[in-house]
Amino acid sequence: MSVPALELSGLKKSFGKAEIIRGIDLDIGKAERHAIIGPNGAGKSTLFNLITARFAPTAGTVKLHGENLAGLEPFQINRKGLSRSFQITNIFPKMSVFENVRCALLWAQGYKYSFWNLVSRQRALTEGADAILEEINLSARRDIPAGMLSYAEQRALEIGITIAGGANVIMLDEPTAGMSNTETDYIMDLIMRVTEGKTLIMVEHDMGVVFGLADRISVLVYGEIIATDTPERVRADPKVQEAYLGAALEAEH
Amino acid sequence: MNEQLKTDPTKPAQRMRAGGMTLSLAPWIIAAVAMMALPMIFTNNSALTIMNQMSITIIFALAYNMLLGQGGMLSFGHAVYAGVGGFFCMHLMNMSDFFATIPLPILPLFGGLFGMGLALIVGSFSTRSAGTVFAMISLGVGELIAASSVIVVAFFGGEEGISGDRTYAQPFFGVEFLQQIEVYYLTAAWVIISAALMYLWSRTPVGRMANAVRDNPERAEFLGYSARWVRYYSFVASGFFAGVSGGLFAINYEILTEENLNAASSGIILLVTFLGGVGFFFGPIIGAVVFTLVQTVLSLQTELWAFYAGCLFVATVMFFPGGLAGLIMMHVPAVKLGKWKLLIMPYIKTLIPAAIGILGLCALVEMTFHYRHGATGDNEMTLFWTTFDSHTLMPWLIAAAVTVIGIGIARMTAPSLKEAWDEANTMGGAS
Repeated sequence: MSVPALELSGLKKSFGKAEIIRGIDLDIGKAERHAIIGPNGAGKSTLFNLITARFAPTAGTVKLHGENLAGLEPFQINRKGLSRSFQITNIFPKMSVFENVRCALLWAQGYKYSFWNLVSRQRALTEGADAILEEINLSARRDIPAGMLSYAEQRALEIGITIAGGANVIMLDEPTAGMSNTETDYIMDLIMRVTEGKTLIMVEHDMGVVFGLADRISVLVYGEIIATDTPERVRADPKVQEAYLGAALEAEH
Repeated sequence: MNEQLKTDPTKPAQRMRAGGMTLSLAPWIIAAVAMMALPMIFTNNSALTIMNQMSITIIFALAYNMLLGQGGMLSFGHAVYAGVGGFFCMHLMNMSDFFATIPLPILPLFGGLFGMGLALIVGSFSTRSAGTVFAMISLGVGELIAASSVIVVAFFGGEEGISGDRTYAQPFFGVEFLQQIEVYYLTAAWVIISAALMYLWSRTPVGRMANAVRDNPERAEFLGYSARWVRYYSFVASGFFAGVSGGLFAINYEILTEENLNAASSGIILLVTFLGGVGFFFGPIIGAVVFTLVQTVLSLQTELWAFYAGCLFVATVMFFPGGLAGLIMMHVPAVKLGKWKLLIMPYIKTLIPAAIGILGLCALVEMTFHYRHGATGDNEMTLFWTTFDSHTLMPWLIAAAVTVIGIGIARMTAPSLKEAWDEANTMGGAS
């Protein structure tokens, strides 16, 4: 097997005495769609933040395409081709929708910190941003401040920003959180389309959402992965049923 | 949503590109022509002095807004970059051999380079984070350098400051800059060039990312940009243009003192920028013009000008956080809807009584000041072209009545203004 897109080994994180992530080993292959599910407080978002260097791990390593990410800053990791979205909508609210996407393209198109290019003169930049707006169905909202978009539109924009830079590993943190069923279907459909051929790692609270989408599902409970397998087998796994689905069922009633 | 999808997404881009060329140049040409024409309207020397001061403040305020408005960095010590740039220019002026070889108009460039040099050093540690940490470091560094002005006398000249003579420079196409009007055109040229460069900066990748980092530094980091480096670039560029304004100050006044460095100057530029409005590029320009007028013209009329400037600032912060520029831009929707005419009468009905009421209030303030601080026996005071005795009851009653009636009428008509405002900003309906 070739080098996995993302390789976690012995990953641990404690805040003081509280162990949130207690040793995670996980390989995610290239172009795999991988979902991480688990009940509230299982450490899903923490795991995400460890991978993207928002937090430093207490122990263990994260490798992207075989390269150790230890000690790198978020912006350096992003330049290596890993992009993420956030559970709480994280866009540039005062800038226009178009500008949000254009900012996401700047580094990928090699503009770096240049102050000798005018962004409005760069055709590739404008066209690239417009193409992404069309992909996420926000062309009609192009010139309004992003903060004025509806919640679902902001989530779509966030996904647009995340994929815009052309990263080949995309991490989405609960992209459908707080959405109605129709909105959820719409966003999942969008995710399917825009991550075609890319490695996708997605955190979800609700297993039903990722069932049709994921190639493999990992179940995270109390900072440990108790199962990693295809959706069907994960669903059939008695351990998962006990730890996660049982709890979810309880919560529903 | 499907319907909207059919619109060609490239069209708005083309429209913006095509419109951008013609529209964005127009204000610059108008500004340049206006700056050339102004001395023909205001010919006396004191008007030129005011306009020079305005120009210098415009550059400084625009530079400051690169931090505050565009980069989200609140600095309490930005005067030092202008000041240090100015002091260096002063020293260059005093190096007679060297100074005789350079034409005066390029001197502000050196001011800019030295301001930038200082920003390169200070920015390397102050831009690590924005917010309170940045504000505190800027305050600390500002005070440190202002304090060293009395310690490093060789450079800052102690309490007297440093003075020089601009006319020792090499004549520039025969112009020796003996007259105020020549300095005016030099300053005006620098204003146009600096403002244009700062505007263009805001359109570059690093300028756009400055906005992004201001809005959401964390998201910017996950787009491949180091928030710290973006802030650093903005800071250094801002230091450069602040230094240019310092160099122009040196040329204009031929003296720099501790006052050019201290916290009061840093505070004033914050006030100017905020008054004009941080959200728009042209905001600080309006702020600089208005504040300089208050500072110069109003200060000739009353000793209490700083009090009024303070009130204006507080009122702006409280009621129009977008500043004067925000106030102007608030009217854009109504103009676009073609309904701005609906606002004229309600404005007249509310604003004129309000203005009269405020003038009445100012009269009360002035009379109180005169009553408390006038020389004993000197009971006469002149206000609004009327001379009266401030120790009699009548003027007080009149001023109080004017205040109450003016503000009362304004309050009565305010609801209909609000109605007209809502109407003017609503789409459709008869107009």
